[in-house]
Amino acid sequence: MPLNYYIVLATILFSIGMFGVILRKNTIVMFMCIEMMLNAVNLSFVAFSKFHGNLEGQIGVFFIMVVAAAEASVGLAIIISVFRAIVSVETSDSNELKL
Amino acid sequence: MEDIVWYLLSTVALLSAIAVVMIPKPLYSAFALVLHMFMIAGLFAMLDAHFLATAQIIVYAGAIMVLVIFVIMLLSLQGAEERPSLLFSVASFAIVAALARYIVPRLDAAFGSSGTDLAGTVKSVGELLYTKYIFPFEAASVLIMVAIVGAVILSKREKKDAA
Repeated sequence: MPLNYYIVLATILFSIGMFGVILRKNTIVMFMCIEMMLNAVNLSFVAFSKFHGNLEGQIGVFFIMVVAAAEASVGLAIIISVFRAIVSVETSDSNELKL
Repeated sequence: MEDIVWYLLSTVALLSAIAVVMIPKPLYSAFALVLHMFMIAGLFAMLDAHFLATAQIIVYAGAIMVLVIFVIMLLSLQGAEERPSLLFSVASFAIVAALARYIVPRLDAAFGSSGTDLAGTVKSVGELLYTKYIFPFEAASVLIMVAIVGAVILSKREKKDAA
């Protein structure tokens, strides 16, 4: 498969994730869409690594996975503590800072 | 044969990505995302990134998604929210298609259309990770440690008599 196909696929997946973050109000679904965007970027990293003959792109993907794991644990802990405070995960319900 | 597998993996990856965004119930979104992670792992394997394909399944489909599903079930989210507007989705897709149409024809000139014989096996990635990238690797372990401590502190219930 040529590189174009992978880049188009990664672009579409990234934008689906981005519009998921914009359109949805549930923080857990938004979180999952962020993971999806990270995955799309990982895919383009690996595709460029393969077509460029450079292994360092895959090292980058490895570190993205590490950061995603750290982000998942802290992000879900924040979601749980917000849920304890306002008993909701909808972004429209967390309006304490709204003017 | 390779083309058929590629189209199968990418079609299922796209459909499951759309399912994550469009399904109202968070739990079903999470299951669609697990499917999506497996398809991405398959695409990694097709790019000869064997180590990352395995890590993708273990870290994303295994660890992160179990954590997400655990939180969804712990919070027992029942209320179905409204579906995202279809018009906006189609409009956003059109914008992305226009961008891709500009970018894609310029890629072949820069990288060529045939892949190299590079293979991201455990051996080759591991060698690079433990020699040139040893410091970021160790820093990553510190980051994971900080994340663990942060998650424990954030989710610990505050004592009532502290106030």
